Amino acid sequence: MTAINTSSPSPDTSSVTGNDIATLERGLHASGGSADRAFKSTAYLAGGLVLLVLGLVTYTMVNRSTDAWSHMGLDFFTSRTWNPPEQVYGILSYIFGTVYTACIALVISVPLSLGIALFITQVAPRWLQRTMTYVIDLLAVVPSVVFGLWGVLVLSVHIKGFYTWMSSTFDGVPVLGSVFGPNPQGRSFFTAGIILAVMITPIIVSLSREVIQTTPQNEKEAALALGATRWEMIRGAVLPHSKGGLVGAVMLGLGRAMGETIAVALVIGSATGRIGLNVFAGGNSMPAVITAEWGEADVLKKSALIAMAVTLFVMTILVNVIATTVVNRSMKKTRGI
Amino acid sequence: MSTTLNRVGAEQLALDLRTKRSWRSTKSQLMVALMFLAFIVILIPLIAVIGTVVSKGAGIVFRDFPAWFTKGIPGRTRVVGPGMGPAIIGTLVITGAASLLAIPLGILGAVYLHEYGRQSKPAQVVRFLSNVMTGVPSIVMGLFVYVIFTLRFGLSGVGGSLALACLMLPVVIRSTEEMLRLVPDHLREASYALGTRKGRTVLTIVLPSALPGVVSGCLLAVARAAGETAPLLFTIGLITKKANLNIFSGANTTLSAQIFRNAGEVLPGPQERGWGAAFTLVAIAFLFTIIARLVTSAYQKRR
Amino acid sequence: MNTQTRRLVLAGIVSLSLVAVACSDDKTAETTTTPAASSTDAPVVTEAPVKLEATLDASGATFPKTYYEEAIAAFTEANSGVTINYAGGGSGKGRQDLADGIVAFAGTDGTIKDADLAGYKGGEVLYFPTVVAPITVSYNLSGVDGLQLSPTTIAKIFQRQITKWNDAAIAAENTGVTLPDTAITVVHRSDSSGTTGNFTKFLEKSVGKDKGAIWTLGTDSTVQWAADTQAGEGNAGVAQIVKSTDGAIGYVDFSDATDGGLQMASIENAAGKFVAPSLEGASAAAAGAKIADNLTYSAIWADGDAAYPIAAQTWIIAYKVQTDAAKGEALKAFLKFILTDGQTLASTVNYAPLPAELATKALAQLDTLQIG
Repeated sequence: MTAINTSSPSPDTSSVTGNDIATLERGLHASGGSADRAFKSTAYLAGGLVLLVLGLVTYTMVNRSTDAWSHMGLDFFTSRTWNPPEQVYGILSYIFGTVYTACIALVISVPLSLGIALFITQVAPRWLQRTMTYVIDLLAVVPSVVFGLWGVLVLSVHIKGFYTWMSSTFDGVPVLGSVFGPNPQGRSFFTAGIILAVMITPIIVSLSREVIQTTPQNEKEAALALGATRWEMIRGAVLPHSKGGLVGAVMLGLGRAMGETIAVALVIGSATGRIGLNVFAGGNSMPAVITAEWGEADVLKKSALIAMAVTLFVMTILVNVIATTVVNRSMKKTRGI
Repeated sequence: MSTTLNRVGAEQLALDLRTKRSWRSTKSQLMVALMFLAFIVILIPLIAVIGTVVSKGAGIVFRDFPAWFTKGIPGRTRVVGPGMGPAIIGTLVITGAASLLAIPLGILGAVYLHEYGRQSKPAQVVRFLSNVMTGVPSIVMGLFVYVIFTLRFGLSGVGGSLALACLMLPVVIRSTEEMLRLVPDHLREASYALGTRKGRTVLTIVLPSALPGVVSGCLLAVARAAGETAPLLFTIGLITKKANLNIFSGANTTLSAQIFRNAGEVLPGPQERGWGAAFTLVAIAFLFTIIARLVTSAYQKRR
Repeated sequence: MNTQTRRLVLAGIVSLSLVAVACSDDKTAETTTTPAASSTDAPVVTEAPVKLEATLDASGATFPKTYYEEAIAAFTEANSGVTINYAGGGSGKGRQDLADGIVAFAGTDGTIKDADLAGYKGGEVLYFPTVVAPITVSYNLSGVDGLQLSPTTIAKIFQRQITKWNDAAIAAENTGVTLPDTAITVVHRSDSSGTTGNFTKFLEKSVGKDKGAIWTLGTDSTVQWAADTQAGEGNAGVAQIVKSTDGAIGYVDFSDATDGGLQMASIENAAGKFVAPSLEGASAAAAGAKIADNLTYSAIWADGDAAYPIAAQTWIIAYKVQTDAAKGEALKAFLKFILTDGQTLASTVNYAPLPAELATKALAQLDTLQIG
């Protein structure tokens, strides 16, 4: 769908003629028409549906999670002990796992995505632009469970050799030694990070492309006219111009990575209580835990799992709200509205 | 073009262009090469995933050709052999029902946003929230439908459809609104000038001229919904191995669910079926995407 | 006239979504009538010998899953009107699903805790023992077959106190075997599991709190494993990780371990003998077990030279009062099959049949099942 979006929508024209149309419409409304009114109210209802669904999600989920909040208190967030038989539900290690894998995914995906987006928009000839866009969009079509299947049966088995090599290479190096730590596992934060990176790259690329394309042609040409090379033009004109939007694009990728469930559940290793820098260690993330433990959960545990979903919901919504605001603002600025 | 421009005096630039030109142009080429390298790097997993799915899955699907689609899923997990019929039916029926809910509502929502609400405050709020709603994790939607629907009515295909519809709705709204924006205002004006009421204008003028784009956006949303797994775990139960055409009651199953189940198996039989299901699902998703692309390009050519 | 047609057109298209939904309603209504029609036939058929018509949903233990699938296939071949879906998901899921009343029966390797009994919506629950089988300690160490492990060593491995395969403690129990310098990857279950319950019960009974407190994690269907371990869903999930990970060790049911081609360790039993997992060893362990009135028992850490120390029992649990007559009859027939003819299927998929005395008691208990 993003491929179509980029065919330069022009809100300017619609806002210019908007007033005239509104006048015309008012005249027409005066003449009534019950079918017309019915259609109008159906459209309004459909618009309101978004509010209704989001409102209901928030209300019902929060409502269902109160048992767990009142049972655990603040420990729910600060404890890493998750011990259902003893009715102790602390989700700290799962929050860590969710954020850590998403961060690994961003570290891998952001340079790749920006490179691809810049190449497509600033370098590639027209035919290549289209081909590359199609290829990247193909990534978005592959269902996450298929990435998961591949991750668990192929990637996690074959990548362990590489992990072992990394781990022994960085052994003893400060910081990197503990990031690429000892005893690497095929199913780990890093494997989950790789899969997530592949999954969020098409999202970040397509948004970045949109943002980058708002750079005014005359600024780019001015840079070139002043003798800038292509890279200098990108650094001097394109990047400063689209900085805000790019940050938003990356954040949307972050939100998507945090919420991804199935692929992560299959490759993260499902170890409880893991908090540490070692990217090659197994851990767990909030969505993965909800998936794995939902079926066997009694009333209180279901409430705890829903409370975990609420936490995830709030985190992703926050990231998304900030991202959308940032993107909107930068688009508005560049379109000069 | 840029080479001729580059000859113009480089002394007075804000960018530091005084270093030797040869180095600067090498650097520029190096960066361009790196950008292209990024594309090559992302091709590796894409080719690896699709290659594995095709090489491991296509063989399974076509080895026992009609049986893969017509037979049920074997009751004995350990046996080698075909049967994904019920999951294929489940995927089509559940995704189909989700589309029946989400697409009309999504299009109407977009009509509200672009034809009625426009830049009014409520419309801006709805637009913003529908953008935000695309970011709600699918597992949260699954749990939500479990709480409001499955708890009361039990496991059923419809629960899965509801969850998928919630995920599709904002996507349809967004892509449709983009398409409505492309419809030139003079078409609306012409229609009004003929005395046509607004609702009719939207239905007979605006929507038809945006139709190819709308269809293509909806197809992409359907393709994505067909691959969803997490929200189905809570709502359809996944346990049945027999076809269940009645989506209103009883457990159901889908391709994505079968892939998830078989991904955790150790024996070759179920793993094979996992790859076969993955191939089938990817083929369905790609088919929808390709149709969407064809519709779009036919549309663009016409314009 | 003009406005009328316009209204018609508009109203028609506006309600497009509703029509579409209604259409799907019709379609599914058609399909619902088919099974409904056939179930109204059922009373007519019941005049004939017994034609069972029902769909039984079930979930629970993955430990006996292979056997149940085999038994279900054989049973439904003979009774074409019955469909049984056994979903697995772990004993914990089975018990929860039965408590919530969303399954007709559940498989479990552990008993219901007294505290949880109140949560069972359908009242009293009956236990039907089905088969016995060894829980293997499977590992992946190329070239090292027939490893011998004592409970103490196993406890230390699974608590991450022994982290290398060439550790002195393992070497001491395997003289003459060259052990590699490979790191140990401990694999356990991610779901609430009867296999975990029985495996930890073995460690608790052999080297637990009262036996030197080497094993400190206690026994339950989930325990607090160390963070640097890996977990898989279901027995198959654990087997998959062990199979694909060099240096891994995990506990897996005998059937999956055999079919998956895993290496299995011989375990030191209560009599101090190292016994390889086998059906005979499991039967020997079950033969001496003390059986409670409700047919619960434990074959873990049994006495006797030949007894395999981690032989696990497993039950099908169901409500004593079956409210749905068709389902109740089908369930009763299925359980009867499992306790009689179905027992002979067990060894074909690497499970040991019940001791004869226990099967008789279970059949007697089946008669107390109330239908309708």
